[in-house]
Amino acid sequence: MRRRNAIIAALWYAVLTTIVVVMMAPVAWMISTAFKPELQILTTQIRWIPDPPTLEHFQAVLSRHALWRWLINSVVVATAATLLVLLLDSLAGYALARMEFTGRDALFAVILSMLFVPLQITVIPLFLIFANLGLVDTYAALILPVGANVTGVFLMRQFFLSIPGELEDAARVDGANDWQIWARVVLPLARPALLAVAIVTFLSAWNAFFWPLIATRSDAARPLAVGIAQFLTLRPGLAQTVQAYGPSMAAATIAALPPILFFFALQRHFIQGVSMTGLKG
Amino acid sequence: MRILAPTGFQARVAARKRIYWTPFLFLAPYLFLFVSLRLFPSLIGLAISFTNWSAVGVPQWVGLANYQALFVDPRFRDALTNTALFTAMAVPALVGLGLAFALFLNQPHRGRGLGRVAVFTPYVIMPTVVGVLWTWILEKDFGLLNVLLGRQIPWLVSPSWAMLGLVLAAVWSMVGYNTVLFLAGLQDIPTELYEAARIDGANAWRSFWSLTLPLLAPTAFLVLMLTIINTFQVFDLVYVMTSGGPGTSTLTMVQYVYTTAFQFFKFGYGSAVAMVMFVVLVIVALIQTRAYRRGLESIY
Repeated sequence: MRRRNAIIAALWYAVLTTIVVVMMAPVAWMISTAFKPELQILTTQIRWIPDPPTLEHFQAVLSRHALWRWLINSVVVATAATLLVLLLDSLAGYALARMEFTGRDALFAVILSMLFVPLQITVIPLFLIFANLGLVDTYAALILPVGANVTGVFLMRQFFLSIPGELEDAARVDGANDWQIWARVVLPLARPALLAVAIVTFLSAWNAFFWPLIATRSDAARPLAVGIAQFLTLRPGLAQTVQAYGPSMAAATIAALPPILFFFALQRHFIQGVSMTGLKG
Repeated sequence: MRILAPTGFQARVAARKRIYWTPFLFLAPYLFLFVSLRLFPSLIGLAISFTNWSAVGVPQWVGLANYQALFVDPRFRDALTNTALFTAMAVPALVGLGLAFALFLNQPHRGRGLGRVAVFTPYVIMPTVVGVLWTWILEKDFGLLNVLLGRQIPWLVSPSWAMLGLVLAAVWSMVGYNTVLFLAGLQDIPTELYEAARIDGANAWRSFWSLTLPLLAPTAFLVLMLTIINTFQVFDLVYVMTSGGPGTSTLTMVQYVYTTAFQFFKFGYGSAVAMVMFVVLVIVALIQTRAYRRGLESIY
């Protein structure tokens, strides 16, 4: 029996190693290529450790493209969008969960129904709206539509429904009004839900591509996701693209590392946040 | 408390004040954005699809003309079949592998945390970066995959391989998300059930088929829905890796919306394509919900 368990465990670790290697190999290859001298990139020899490592691709990419600017744009937009969503959705979710008013359920149904409308339908009118306001190519065009999301409101509402009402009653007896109850009683309790919404909102704002591609025209507001795609788009069949793998991987590394490190640091919250919003949204 | 509260007209006025205004104030900021940037644009999108609106000239109401044109538009047909093909290839892989990874990483061995991190890491890399990275990995002569395989498969440059190349990149980048959802579903199953089954003499295989799978059905249904919705709207990877080519071999629905509306500025026609996507998604959701209900009835 013990021997059988040992064999099973050995098999399990063999499979685990395979999974880890297969999933991480592309990431390792990206970083490795980014540091390789040109001659070691276009070869059929597999070399994981660049020898000698070089920073030339990073220098080339950073001097030729507004990579830092895109990075700053992405950080500003994703942070602002996350804060906006946290504030609006915790307010709206609380009202939908805890306050009595006519038409509440109908309103919630209307909000929820938009979950099924793909973004592509709204993108053309959205572009026309922002073009009319003269807000194309601004942070506002990237941030405000995120505030209209449905998942966050839904999640906050579900969370507020799940907390017991006694605390709010007690605060009310002590003379607190709805705003004070929301700010001092309910929000502190909602930290896990707020964190989940924050992580998922940040991630999706950071990764967003379709709308930012349409809504930005210059480096002034262009986020990283769009910037990387715009200059590194490697059209198959074009000979000159063969040269670009070193710089491409350097840029890809710069773009990929912050979220990866962030994820490593906050893994548990990440995974919890994603599973919470996925299962309930 | 209730006995001490003021009664009569004043109380009703006070109650009315509280009931009517505070919820509205709580909701107002969100509703302002929701209505103006989500609800209203959706309805306008529907309306635009009945016009011939383009960047120049005055839009005219053309009724169903855009939809009629779609029927005979070969590029639209390609986009529809390509998207269906991509979904048909990616969804089984994403759901099946996600489930397999979750079952595997749910085993009580040390090191499973490392496995979870490794599987989920690609998901936090932005899709356009995934596209750039996989363009290099799938490169014909020096790409990592071909070098490892010892072959020169023209992954992204030949019409017959390009779609498979996209699927590989998509599965790699998104499988971690499904794994996490399945893991959460597995952890919701009470361990007492397994103990009870063991006492009743069920072996591991038996309790997997009779306990784990049926109890995981709601999660599986949800994962399937989310995966179909996500893969059906694939855009970022296609834009970066093939931009719909070679030819129209990887032209997808969203890519087609993008080119018609924002490269050729045919807003009316592009909106009609987007509306078709919406209708397809709704039909898929309806069919699945139905099948799911029936499946549940047969289990319980």
